Amino acid sequence: MLRATGFFYQRRRAVDLFAKVLGIAATVFGLFWLAWILLVTLNNGIHALAPAIFTQSTPPPGGEGGLANALFGSLEMSILGVLIGAPLGIAAGTYLAEFAERHHTWRESVRFVNDILLSAPSIVLGLFVYTLAVRSVGHFSGWSGGVALGLIVLPVVVRTTDETLRLVPNVMREAALSLGIPRWKVTVQVLYRAAAPGILTGVLLGLARISGETAPLLFTSLNNQYWASSLNAPTASVPVVVFQFAMSPYESWHALAWAGAFIVTVFVLLLSVGARAYLLRNRIEGAG
Amino acid sequence: MLWGGRQAFDTFGWHFILSDEWDAVGHRFGAFVPIYGTLVSSAIAMIIAIPVSFGIALFLTEIAPTWLRTPIGAAIELLAGIPSIIYGMWGLFSFVPFMAANVLPWVDRNLGAVPWIGPLFRGPPLGIGMLTAGIVLGIMVIPFISSVMRDVFQTVPSSLKESAYALGSTTWEVVWQVVLPYTRSAVVGGIFLGLGRALGETMAVTFVLGNAHQLATSLLMPGNSIAATIANEFTEADSDIYLSSLIALGFLLFVVTFIVLAIARVMLYNLARKEGR
Amino acid sequence: MDDTTREAALMDVARTKISVRGLDFYYRGYHALKNVNLDIPERTITSVIGPSGCGKSTLLRVFNRIYSAYAGLVATGQVLLDGENILDYHYSLNRLRTRVGMVFQKGVPFPLSIYENVAYGLRHHFKLPRVQLDERIEHALHEAALWSEVKDKLHTSALSLSGGQQQRLCIARAVALRPQVLLLDEPTSALDPIATGRIEQLLNDLRNDYTIVIVTHNMQQAARISSYTAYMFLGEMIEFGVTADLFTRPQRRQTEDYITGRFG
Repeated sequence: MLRATGFFYQRRRAVDLFAKVLGIAATVFGLFWLAWILLVTLNNGIHALAPAIFTQSTPPPGGEGGLANALFGSLEMSILGVLIGAPLGIAAGTYLAEFAERHHTWRESVRFVNDILLSAPSIVLGLFVYTLAVRSVGHFSGWSGGVALGLIVLPVVVRTTDETLRLVPNVMREAALSLGIPRWKVTVQVLYRAAAPGILTGVLLGLARISGETAPLLFTSLNNQYWASSLNAPTASVPVVVFQFAMSPYESWHALAWAGAFIVTVFVLLLSVGARAYLLRNRIEGAG
Repeated sequence: MLWGGRQAFDTFGWHFILSDEWDAVGHRFGAFVPIYGTLVSSAIAMIIAIPVSFGIALFLTEIAPTWLRTPIGAAIELLAGIPSIIYGMWGLFSFVPFMAANVLPWVDRNLGAVPWIGPLFRGPPLGIGMLTAGIVLGIMVIPFISSVMRDVFQTVPSSLKESAYALGSTTWEVVWQVVLPYTRSAVVGGIFLGLGRALGETMAVTFVLGNAHQLATSLLMPGNSIAATIANEFTEADSDIYLSSLIALGFLLFVVTFIVLAIARVMLYNLARKEGR
Repeated sequence: MDDTTREAALMDVARTKISVRGLDFYYRGYHALKNVNLDIPERTITSVIGPSGCGKSTLLRVFNRIYSAYAGLVATGQVLLDGENILDYHYSLNRLRTRVGMVFQKGVPFPLSIYENVAYGLRHHFKLPRVQLDERIEHALHEAALWSEVKDKLHTSALSLSGGQQQRLCIARAVALRPQVLLLDEPTSALDPIATGRIEQLLNDLRNDYTIVIVTHNMQQAARISSYTAYMFLGEMIEFGVTADLFTRPQRRQTEDYITGRFG
């Protein structure tokens, strides 16, 4: 039954228009914050950039210096995190997608736990690694920092591997099996080849995520004013340094904090956007 | 899996959990202040984030021209990718002064006078405080909720929407009467997902909430959240009791976020099942 | 009856390659194939036709035991390939799949080069020197009527080929192993008429060397290319015979209904 035209119709039109305007407003609202945050970070960051950032290590309170040791520490621990989280994640994701056929409940429970882990607050993960790793070893270290980061990378990679493999057409699996190829070979040689872009993107996104993480490192690798002698000692990292310096009253420390924030932001955003663009291009090539 | 956290305070001080339920306000023996702070700041965040996310999802799925959808969608996703310390830095150095200078005095003068909710809004324009933290948290959570909503809105079969349009409905009516009911449980799931994120957010909140162990009525006053407390005071924890209370707090946070995220997962799963995935 | 003896006589002439005896198939509890009995003659094209859901694809998939990759699928009875029961637990899957090849509805090549696609199965089963490998691959591509189109770009990605070419590549991939039986599950349903014609032509050329079983929902196709046709309905084998006979003078009422388009 159509409503009568005239007043009711006008009012419905008005409501519709109002809703549309609100939708646009909300989007502008969101974008506004994005712009503000990025501008501030870029602005302050660029002003604080200097070659010394990359050559000198973190200074004592009020002093001048750089972020070299923190940059290096972050690099070390991020790589460690990926080395821990990615292989495990790929293996687990493969297991979920390919080999857990007969155990439906188990499979879904693992996916469930993985999803929770994925969205869990990083501070909780950091505390967990603290109680397990740091307490038992007795001191903070770069290793436990890497482990904490690995724990964050793991669910990301599990999920992307699982989903990407599930997207591979079943026909491909069956065609390979029909040629007499054993199951494991089919997975490794054929399916991985097809799923590679997706899996790689998952790893890259995991890396992007851990590059900006602070909380888990607070409880595991702590911080270090100087170069860590080995990964077995407390290690500096950019996010933690930024945290410490920003909360302090010293101007020079603030400047360094901005420089650090800038570097982290640029790195993370480039990596995220790059990973997604790579996936988009490769998925289009391989589709069909 | 995360019994590790529990073990720590189990061995040291089981009665600290009990003390939480006493609602003690003093620092070392009561988790009430951080809990309150976490809840309130998250609540403010959700109040802001939910309508805005919905608006964005609406825009991206129904209103925007096709060529605009991908870039703007990607831009909103960028918000999610920004690490939380960046939010913290910006929050502390840019947003807080802005709030202190421009917004909060206005809030204090105008909203502070309103009868029932007045006391919530009265207070010195410090900048740092619950309201500021809530707003920052809300912005952080927007991309998560809006992306879930957007994905979910797009799963509504177009035949369903088209039949509504064919009957003469306006865009808004289609959304309100067809899309939302269809995706209801997933939308709630997305909201819970955002809530889980807000509850556990550490760095941004630490920067702008103020780390004050006092309970204040006004939103303009500083406070504390579970995550911020742990982050701020971990390095200063010099006694076992201190440390174990912090870990206990962490455990509480874990339990709460676990429940929230589990609910979110279940609700999202229900919709996926509905469409036969 | 007159016609059955005639059929039997014809089939005596052609030796039986695959003999199905009392085959039942259960798909997670659902009885998908019911007491199927069938003799597939060698070196000729047999088509299996029937409406959707009649079990023709299921039957095909029993022939190379591809169903064993999934949980909850059970086959009982006997399927004799050259006298040996392939459903038997002891019959090696590996051996089976070198003797029975399969081509699917959607020709999905592996994300490898054209050369590597065809070489993949060969590399796994045989240790061949490069020269021999090249020869086998060229031969397979010739058999699939694809060689002239790809000989200059063997090492480019298989995904750059057209749909019809990809399907022919999948056929090349399957025949590279020189199986004795070639199973095709609706191989042209995703292709345009020209590509379809090409593939039918190629199957025609292959019929002297391979036992071909093709599942198709296209009755005209079955009439065009196959020597024998089997009609299935709701999991049962209703009728089997020489194609021309089945289409012009079907023995069973059900067959006639399907062929004349009463349903399906």
